[in-house]
Amino acid sequence: MWNICPRHEHLSRRALLKGSLFTAGGASISNWGSLFQSDLAAAEVSKKKKHCILIWLNGGCSQFETFDMKIGRPTGGLYRDISTNLPGTRVCELMPNIAQRMDKLTVIRSMRTSQIDHPGGIYLMHTGYPRAANVRFPEMGAIIAKYCGEQDTDLPNFIKISSQGNAGAGFLGPKYHPFNLDRDGRLPTFSTSNLDEKIEMRRHGLRDFVESQFAEKHPADPARMHREAYQRARRLNNVQEKFKVDAEWEKSRERYGDTKFGRRLMMARCMVEAGVSFVEVGQSGYDTHADNFTGHKALLPTMDRAWSGLLDDLEERGILDDTLVVWMGEIGRTPRINNRSGRDHYVRSWSTALAGGGVKGGLVYGESDKDGVDVKDNPVTEGDFFATIYSALGLDPEAENFSGVRPIPLAPFGHNVVKDILA
Amino acid sequence: MKIDKPTQQWELAFNGDWATSVAFVGNNKIVAGNRTGDIYVWQIPDEVPKDEDEGEKDEKKKDGFPNVFPVRKLVGHTNGITQLLVTPDGKTVVSASLDRTIRLWNIDAETTGESEVVLDTRNREVNARGKRAEDKEKILNAPGCKVQEVASTATLEGHKDWIKALNISHDGKRLISGDDSCFTIVWDIASLKQVSSWHGYDRIWVSSAALSPDGQTAFVAEYAGRRSSFDCPAPQVRLWDATEGKLKNDLLKIWTPKVKDKDRVDSYGYFQTCGKILKRGLICAAYSNDGKMIAAGQGGETDTGMIHLIDAESGEIVRSVAGHKTGACDVKFSADSKFVLSSGRDTTVRICNVEDGKEVANLGAGRGGQFKDWIHAISISPDQKRIAGADIAGMIHVWTLGSQS
Repeated sequence: MWNICPRHEHLSRRALLKGSLFTAGGASISNWGSLFQSDLAAAEVSKKKKHCILIWLNGGCSQFETFDMKIGRPTGGLYRDISTNLPGTRVCELMPNIAQRMDKLTVIRSMRTSQIDHPGGIYLMHTGYPRAANVRFPEMGAIIAKYCGEQDTDLPNFIKISSQGNAGAGFLGPKYHPFNLDRDGRLPTFSTSNLDEKIEMRRHGLRDFVESQFAEKHPADPARMHREAYQRARRLNNVQEKFKVDAEWEKSRERYGDTKFGRRLMMARCMVEAGVSFVEVGQSGYDTHADNFTGHKALLPTMDRAWSGLLDDLEERGILDDTLVVWMGEIGRTPRINNRSGRDHYVRSWSTALAGGGVKGGLVYGESDKDGVDVKDNPVTEGDFFATIYSALGLDPEAENFSGVRPIPLAPFGHNVVKDILA
Repeated sequence: MKIDKPTQQWELAFNGDWATSVAFVGNNKIVAGNRTGDIYVWQIPDEVPKDEDEGEKDEKKKDGFPNVFPVRKLVGHTNGITQLLVTPDGKTVVSASLDRTIRLWNIDAETTGESEVVLDTRNREVNARGKRAEDKEKILNAPGCKVQEVASTATLEGHKDWIKALNISHDGKRLISGDDSCFTIVWDIASLKQVSSWHGYDRIWVSSAALSPDGQTAFVAEYAGRRSSFDCPAPQVRLWDATEGKLKNDLLKIWTPKVKDKDRVDSYGYFQTCGKILKRGLICAAYSNDGKMIAAGQGGETDTGMIHLIDAESGEIVRSVAGHKTGACDVKFSADSKFVLSSGRDTTVRICNVEDGKEVANLGAGRGGQFKDWIHAISISPDQKRIAGADIAGMIHVWTLGSQS
């Protein structure tokens, strides 16, 4: 049995029986977790047309310079707090625009996660799971693409714009792999064919013929993945116009701030409006082991303007209620300020924020102690955070996909959905 | 300035947040500020105490160098002090702060109150080591020093962001200040009015500024911190007409002649090119007393922070000296314009010959692990015999430059 059943095609008896209950007409069972229970759930959720935009603060933004200030304490740093439109809540002076939109945000001041380095943290906060040798966990974007995305669409359902995270679709397979735009939010140059359409089609026909012949004799996933990738690339040609946003940018430049990061977030809005279920937009440079204060001063005003512009734009277009905006990096930063005027990595107590679809606005959840050294109330782990995000989007965090024969829930075992946050 | 076997004389305890700034007021008074916004005044005795008996000597060894306590506290700023300077007549101290104001002080003015402060926590901890519990308690909880509080005589308002650049013309008539909204102001000290002001680009900061001795020309360097995808304007280093607020010379164009104007933008290529000269920005600057030279130091955390000596007339970099491991912090010229003194992130003060660039003295020693503590600022006494350095570890070092002093 082991000799004739390749690993990637192997299903346990339990999984096979479970899957068969949902199998109609003898449809072929594919791997990559697309067991039918999962597919049906995905089809059901995708009807709700939920979207998610992840604002990724690469390197780990400081909670002390954003949402969890400790003014007057030795850990407090150089910035002062300002009042917000949420009575009793104050945030850093570097975020005056977000301060006036706190009624739309849920801020979590009590994140406590498990991976303190960048590679581990980036993986963790993209997948919800720590790295493991035997499982390739999918990123949140891939899961949301699977469950919330339209399955038969020319647009990718998982787009990244100048962002990090290399877990990709993991065991969900290439169909949900992220499509990367360049840092200005433009299509990469390779995505546009420079051939005459007739020549292109003739080449496509020939390649398709050769690949079909090959696939008959080699029914392995790499061959299928290759064909799928080409198919997706070809379908992307049908929607090239969606990525041409220069005119839109001229209209939006003021709202988002005249920055590349602002343009990326506007692009994210355009993609969501076009039907893309998950867009991740990155801003790099937060790893401020040295010169933390000037570092954050260089980055946060740009982020503040663009993020607040995005929230306004989504709201005005009536899609904020269906779009969850997640704001996070992979780690927080230390309470102690080192002799480089910097803050190092810290995961014992840090902050994230959510806004839009599925979550309450005007809420600060959890609390750190007086110096921001530890969580005082309501700790939120990575598992809790991911489970809450999935719940906000209408997904069951315990829904399972399969890595080989191993069932993997969307959010890690032992998680708790933070129900106080959900709308 | 005469340099002959420089040695450290004093180590003034300034525990708490980082000591960021220091200035001599006359030859025996020192004023220093920190990142909390506190400014203290110390009166330094003419004579350094001598070791008379063995017991006392042991105590001094533990403490390092002798300490005296401050006598006055300048009260008013509400956020970190970034720069301190003294007018040439020695009568007025000028401070710039993250609270967006510049304040002027007469440190001999009538006091407004008295407070007790403890600035020697670390010395107490060292002295308490190995002592019996009750003695330890006594040392640690000993009363602090009493300081007379002094209020500022004037506050200059006009900046809307952190003021990190402040300098004075050698004739004592004008001040220049620059902030993080890239706004530069030239002030007339007598009237406390603005002479001129100008805005640079958004999202870029004035990192250093200096005035020519006659106050007519302003050197201004602009730089932003970390960037995501070079998402900010390109750095600038320019000379301005300080009276009119008009551009006189773009020094980066002189330093990078091969770059076309259209390419001087926020691109990777241009940042690479000018990064070789600026590293992470020119964060300190000074004009020589004779007005012939400008010194500007490469700051931020970089491999080696050099001090560029720039010909004030042509704008060319004549030579680069010093070389502070991981970045320079402050730069000053000696009164005779023969030496350039700089401090850096390697806990040292380097003194170099302007003429040939050779280092003639290196004060201090690296302290810390891979990354050393910074000497954040330096000051030279009017008689050119002493140097003071503000050490982020919470102390003010005072060196004498000549063994005869």
